Formats: sequence, C-alpha cells, structure tokens
Amino acid sequence: MTNVPDWKVKLRIFERMLLMRRLEECVLDLAAQKIMVGHFHVYVGQEAAGAAVLEAAGPNELLLTTHRNHGHLVGRGADPGKLLAEFLGREGGLNRGRGGTLHATDRSLGFLQTSAVLGGVVPLAIGAAFALKREKTGRAAIAFFGDGSLEEGCTFEAFNIAALWQLPVVFVCENNSVGAIGQAGGGYPTSISAATQLTRIPRVFDIPTRVFLDGNDVAGIHAAAVEALARARGGGGPTFIETLTTRWPGSQPLWPEPATGTTMLEMAYGDRQPEGLHAEWIRIHDPVLRVARELLAGGCERKVLEALDADIRRRIDAAAKFAIASPFPDPAGAADHIFA
Amino acid sequence: MQTMRTMTFAEAIVDGLANALRADPCVTMVGSYVLGLGPLRHHMDRIKREFPDRLIDGPISEAALAGLGAGAAMAGARPFVDFGTASFSLLALSQLANESAVARLMSGGQISVPVVYHMLHGVRGGGAAQHSTSPQAMLWNSPGLEIVLPSGPRDVKGLIRRSLKTDNPTVFINHAKLMAYEEAVPEEDYEIAFGVAEIKRAGRDVTIVATSYMVRVALAAADQLAAEGIEAEIVDPRTLVPFDEAAVLTSVGRTGRLVVVDECPLRCGIASEIVATVAERGFRSLKAPPQRVARADSPIPCSPGLEAAVTPSEATIIDAVHRVMR
Amino acid sequence: MTDQAQQLTEIYRRMVLIRQFEEQVRSLYSGGAVPGLVHLCSGQEASAVGACFPLNDDDFIASSHRGHGHCLAKGMRPGPLMAEILGRSAGYCGGRSGSLHVSDPATGNLGTNGIVGGGIPLAAGAALGARARGRGQVAVCFFGDGALNQGLVFEVMNMAAIWSLPVIFICENNGYGEYTAIGDVTAGNSLTARGEVFDIPSSLVDGMDVLEVLAASRAAVSLARRGGGPSFLIFNTYRYGGHHVGDRQDYKDRKETEAWEAKDPIPRFANHLLERRLADPSGLAAIEEGVAEEIRAAVEFAKASPEPAPGDLRRALYA
Repeated sequence: MTNVPDWKVKLRIFERMLLMRRLEECVLDLAAQKIMVGHFHVYVGQEAAGAAVLEAAGPNELLLTTHRNHGHLVGRGADPGKLLAEFLGREGGLNRGRGGTLHATDRSLGFLQTSAVLGGVVPLAIGAAFALKREKTGRAAIAFFGDGSLEEGCTFEAFNIAALWQLPVVFVCENNSVGAIGQAGGGYPTSISAATQLTRIPRVFDIPTRVFLDGNDVAGIHAAAVEALARARGGGGPTFIETLTTRWPGSQPLWPEPATGTTMLEMAYGDRQPEGLHAEWIRIHDPVLRVARELLAGGCERKVLEALDADIRRRIDAAAKFAIASPFPDPAGAADHIFA
Repeated sequence: MQTMRTMTFAEAIVDGLANALRADPCVTMVGSYVLGLGPLRHHMDRIKREFPDRLIDGPISEAALAGLGAGAAMAGARPFVDFGTASFSLLALSQLANESAVARLMSGGQISVPVVYHMLHGVRGGGAAQHSTSPQAMLWNSPGLEIVLPSGPRDVKGLIRRSLKTDNPTVFINHAKLMAYEEAVPEEDYEIAFGVAEIKRAGRDVTIVATSYMVRVALAAADQLAAEGIEAEIVDPRTLVPFDEAAVLTSVGRTGRLVVVDECPLRCGIASEIVATVAERGFRSLKAPPQRVARADSPIPCSPGLEAAVTPSEATIIDAVHRVMR
Repeated sequence: MTDQAQQLTEIYRRMVLIRQFEEQVRSLYSGGAVPGLVHLCSGQEASAVGACFPLNDDDFIASSHRGHGHCLAKGMRPGPLMAEILGRSAGYCGGRSGSLHVSDPATGNLGTNGIVGGGIPLAAGAALGARARGRGQVAVCFFGDGALNQGLVFEVMNMAAIWSLPVIFICENNGYGEYTAIGDVTAGNSLTARGEVFDIPSSLVDGMDVLEVLAASRAAVSLARRGGGPSFLIFNTYRYGGHHVGDRQDYKDRKETEAWEAKDPIPRFANHLLERRLADPSGLAAIEEGVAEEIRAAVEFAKASPEPAPGDLRRALYA
C-alpha cells in the first residue's frame, strides 16, 4: 500500500535528494584535491530514504545520525558551506573543525551528538526520546543508522527500553549492504546477522516495523515516516523502518570513489544513456534519476528540474568556496569546548 | 546561621538528591533506585513518596541506560543514572568515554551533556574481582568527564546537589563503606563547588592526599601518627575533575613531604597522577621522595586475609609516612 | 537396579545434594563465616541437575552468580566447593574466587560469574574451540531472566547462530532480576523470540520438572554434538530464597511463593519415582542420609581449612 503524495511534496523530497547528491559530488572533488580531513563516508545512492523521512519530520524533532551524516545534515537544512568547512577541519565549520565528517552536527536543526561508534546513536536516541516524553510537548526523536548497528548489543538493549517505556522514537535503519563486496573483496565489512530479516529484531520487543525492499520508494517511505511520527508524538511508542538500497559502486571500496561520475539529469529525460562499468546501477538503482523520472512522468516540467539543479549547483559552488577559504582553527584554542 | 543535624552518608545522599529533584523538574533518576544504600535503603522511601514519577527502574542494560542518560541530557533533561557497583559501569564504557565525554568538543560547543552517572567503587568486603572495581583512574584518563569522590556526609550532600547543576557529564563515585558514616550536616539546601579541595586535618609534618573512603582511613592513621608526634595534613580533593592542584601544591609547599592514598590499582592510578603532578610542579618543596599507597596490581581476591593484603590500610599509610619522614 | 533406575536415583541424589548444600551455606552465612554475599539456588535444583546430566567432564559450563547448583551438578565436590565459598585455602580456587567466581577446569567449569550475563561469551568461546577440536564437546551457559536484557546475550546468540556453535543457552527464568519482576523490565510478549530471531531452536520448559528439563537438555546437547548448532532453552523456575541471603524479599507475594513451593522439584520427583516403583521409600531415605553425611563432612572439611596466607598472593596472578 503506498500513498502517492502531492507532487509538490515529491518535488521537495527531490530537492533534498539533489542537494545531498551535489554536496557529495563536491565532497569527492575535495577529496581528490586532498583537502578532506580523515576518512569519510558518502550518502550517494541512499538519498531517497533520508530525504523522505526528513520531509516528514517537523521542525521540532530531535535527530541523531552516524558517520554517514552528510545527507541527513544538508537535507535537513544545514548550511552547506559550514558543513563542507567542517569536513575540511576549518574554523568556519558547524563544529568549528573539532568534529570533522565523523561528528558533524547542527544543534539548531535538532541534531544531537553524531556518533561514529556503530550502535552508538541508538541509546542516545532513546535518551532523547525519554527527555521529550517527560516534557510532554508531543515531540519525537528520529535515529538514522545502518544495518551494522543491529549487531551491537546496546541496540537490542535500547529497543527493549524504547518498547517498555513507549518512547517517542522513530528508528530508521538504512540497510546498504545489498551489493556490498565485503571485507574479503577489499570493501567494507558487511553486516553479519543471523536474523534473516532485520525487522525481526525490533519485533522481538513488539515494536511495529515497516520494511522497504525498494529503498528508493520515496512515496512509501514518506508515508511510513509520517505514520511513525504521528504514532510517536501521540504516545504510541517507537517504530522501526528499514530501507534497503543497492550499494553505490563508489562506496564499495574502503575509500569512496566517484565511480559513476557527475549525476546527469539528462539521463532521467532519456537524452543520455548511462555508460561504462556501472551503467546498470545508474539506470536501475540511482535514486535521484529515478525520482526525477517519476516527477516527469507525473507531469513535472523538465525546466523545473533543470532550474532546481542549477540553483543547487550554484549554492554548492559557493559553499565550496566558503569552505576552502575558511581558516584552520587556532591551535591555541585546542582545549576549547571540552567542558561547559 | 546554619542548623546542623547528624546524618549518615546514605541519608545525606538522599537529602541532596531530594533537594535537586525539588528544585529542578528536569532531574530524573534512572536505574536501580536503591543506589547501593544497602541496609540504609529505607532512606529512599521519601524520594519514592515525594517524587514517584521521577524514579525509573530499568532493565539490566548498562550500555543502553548510560546512553539513554547521555541522549536525554543532550535533549535538555538532567538524568541521574545509577550503575550500582562500579564494576558494572565498564559495560557502558563506550557510552561514557566515546559519547558523553566527547560530545561537547566534537560538536564544537553545540552540545552539552548534563548527565550524572552514579556508582559505588572500591573494596567492600568479600566482593572479589567483579564487585570491587575502582574505575576513577580509568575515567580520569577519559577527558571530558567530571569526576566526584566525596568522603563524608557533608561533602556528599553539597556535591551531589552541584553535580545535578553542572552542564558537563559527571561521574559521581561513592563507596559502600561510607554509607553508615555519620557527621553533622547542614539541614538546609546547599551546594559545594567542584575543584575545591578541603583540608580535612591540618598538620605540619606530612601531606597525605586521599579520596573517598581512604580519607577516613587516612584520618585514622593520622590519629595514630599524632601519638608518635607526627602531625599529618589530610588534603581531600573531593573532585578529580576539576582538580584543585593548587591546594595540593600549597600543602606540600608547607610540609615538604607527600603520601598519596588511593584505592585504584597502583599502576596509572590516582596516586600516580598526583605524585607526578607534584614532582613536576612542586619538586623544590620536596624533602623526600613522594610515596604512593594504593591497591595492589591484582584482581581482588575473595578471602578476607588476601583481600586485606591488597587493599590500602592504616598500617600501610603509616608505613609510607614513616618512609617519607626518614 | 536397572540402568535407568540408577540414573534416576542419581538425579534425585544430586538434587538433594544441592538443596542440602545450599541450606548449609545459608546457615554458615548467618553465622558470619562467609565473606561477601551468596546467592542460593534452592528451588532451582531440577534446572541445574537436568541440564548437566547429559554432559561429560570435557563439556563446558559457564554459570552465573547463582551457581552452586551448576557446580555440583557438573561434578564439583562439596568439600572444596564449600571451602571456596568460605574463602579458605583448600577451596577450588585457593580462597581467591569465593562463591562468585569459582571454577574447575577438570570438570569443564568455566566458572560462576559476578557480572550478569558474563559467562555467556565465555561459553560461546569454549564452543568455538570445541568445534575446532572436533571431538563433539559442547558448552552450556546458565543465566537468569535478568540477563535477557543484556546486549551481550544478543551479540553472542547472533554469533552462535552464524557459526553454528555447539553452545546451549539456558535461561533460568525465576521471575526476578534481583528485586525486580521480569515483566517490569522485559518488552515483547515472547521470551523465546529472543532466540528465534536468529533461527535458534528455542523452547519454554517447566523448570520444576527434572524429567522435562532432562529431555529438553538431551535434545539440545545431541543437536550440538552432531554439529547442528545452538539451542535456547528457558526453564521456568523459582528461587525459594531471596536474591542473596539477607534479602527481605518484600517484593514477593506470599501466595506466589506458596504456589511454587507446591511444585518443589525434589518431592515432586520423589513421588514420581515412588509411584512408578523406580525407587522405594527406604531407598530414598538412604540417599538423603548419605547426602546429609556427605554435606556434614564437607562443612567440616571447609571449616577446618585455614585461610590462605597473603604471602601467596602473587602466585595465581599470571601464568
């Protein structure tokens, strides 16, 4: 069962997705320039779920995300310049260069600690929900994490508590292990769970679940998120939403690579055909092109999408310039911000 | 004009908590709500009566509850999370060291984590290896955590009140052997600032720095030493983070001799850090090499005689003072 | 006496041994002879005895803080075990471990444990080693309902399932984690779901019926021995005492306790043996007397053992 949202909603979702995509293309470019600080993780190929959930989220929700946070932050409205500056370790970054890509966060948009320890965000998220529940203001917490977090014991503990205390939290598990090549192949470790379907895990605790085998179904995910947030805000407790995506080829090796080049919307229009080693991924699994095609099929004009893309590219260009120009933090301030 | 009343350490903890709960609706208690008060746990009855919805008993899930405390704190609450025995806090070490301690710096100052973690440390008698951990040295080596080690009722009431006001993650470490200790405590609500040591006993001959239950043991040792004509000054830092280094250096500046007593194992323990600090910053004051009196580098054995042999005592403190007085 | 009758009377003897042993520990504790706290398993004898009966000396167990029954059922001798509980030098661990960490490599006992769930990864590790050795050894870990909410349990069950480890997870569900009722802290309406989520065969068993425990345990052990992987068994049982000796037990309902006392596994099994003429009253009485004598000797042995000398301390620290 899917709700087909108003096409304006879908366009807004698409805008978030395209912003995420162009940001990550810029990140890969900065990496090629060797100015990205440390190891990083990109959201390419996963934009649909994040954008759909963020569209459903209200301005007062609290959010938690992991090392794979770029999409969530920029999709929620974080200033792309300050975000990129953070990845470059600059004073002008959201975290003043202290957190980098692994811990980038924006408290003013509702994000709490961005944790890079697998499973780390799940207990934090139930804590945020616990605080919100006590406030009785009808707010909810949203936690984004990957399939790997479901191997961590603290995740089980947190699910038990969330269910027991009916905490207002939406767990969004973005499972990108499909198509991963695994450690043996020189890629990331993939999740190793005996639970043949990950939603079985939260169901042990009677947490309601939704699974999207098609992790690019923005309409369905958006509707599920709306329902889950309503449940949480209304005192009905937690929900677990799992989305599965076929891993972007550029995220297969340990260091991300621009494996599919710059996204060309013309491929959605049919003006160009994907080519090369990853043509199939582009054609079948690229969420940005897919949603663009859906919008066009629904009557959206090509020029609307082109104008959107042009605007986003301008913003990202300006953001990159800001980030590169931002100075490094003064080492004298290294001990700032340890304590309040 | 303060009204004083004699109360036990256990009662003082509860008194301080009650004041915090009353003053701030954001304060919530999570975890085992007997707080290790043991035979004195009836003191918690008043909290259960007055604040029934502010106490939540959780499952045996240390990692999740520690993380819940951190997340709730980030979201504006002031949780007080009890682990019970300090040994169990090790199950939550990632939540303490990787999440609570680092969030503020990682976020460049955007996120605060005003959570208090409570636990009972130390050798309690027959606890053996998994019920006798003193983790404060490990936690002192995880920058970003405040660490509080009260030694008596008057201190614990004021410090616990303060801990639920600071905007930093605080590890509040008590000791089972302190619970029944009594002294005169102000009846009214008050707080004690962090980073302010207290001279528990003035003396001119030797500085003994001690924390938590070891303050009691050191005071008893000091009485015995006084009979020999040695006047010991007992400096109680009360908090490790922030640490009142100046108080220790000033005292050593006067006495010239230093003994540090600590229930953590010797290697990399509290005593080691304090001695190193004085060696670096107060070397010229020293008339003799400083001495550490600490737990042996061993898991704690069960049998009482073995347990006593690895735990600091009046006798070993006195021995250390004699060495430093030579 | 037939083989079967012999086995059954041996099962009876072991349960009586545990019950009497625990009563003596309680009495010694009340007399101040036991350092630290003790956690007695009176009422849970069928669980320990039935689960350990299919095991050999070279199979492993990892126990919990409520472990005296497991230790005896796995073949530890009452004398040195009692001595260890009293912290004496003739104890299995030279007085170092006390009740909470006592172990015995000769009977495959990885030890009791003071951390809730602490023995579970140890058992899985032993199972991993056993699988590599290929001799058909298995490992059993015992834990309580309180441990069901420990993340470690899930992590280990997941690994046991993926790697088909010969380990049996036994939850002795006595309804209470310390002083808290299981329902107050455990979400979800099925406890077996916690094993089923990993496709581990899971079942609920009447832990007060030693024959049911035995049947379930035999099946699980047999599965593990032939390479069929882990099982998860939940024995519904009850502890007649408190969490530890000295616990006031004000969280327990009198009616509830009486109902469980009516299911006492020991008289229940005695009746079963008598009704089926697998034993006669004088035979059972002889067993009880024999146990009483054995326990008496164990207490004497333990009390006579000296406390370990502190000079000995460094001996057991490193290999």
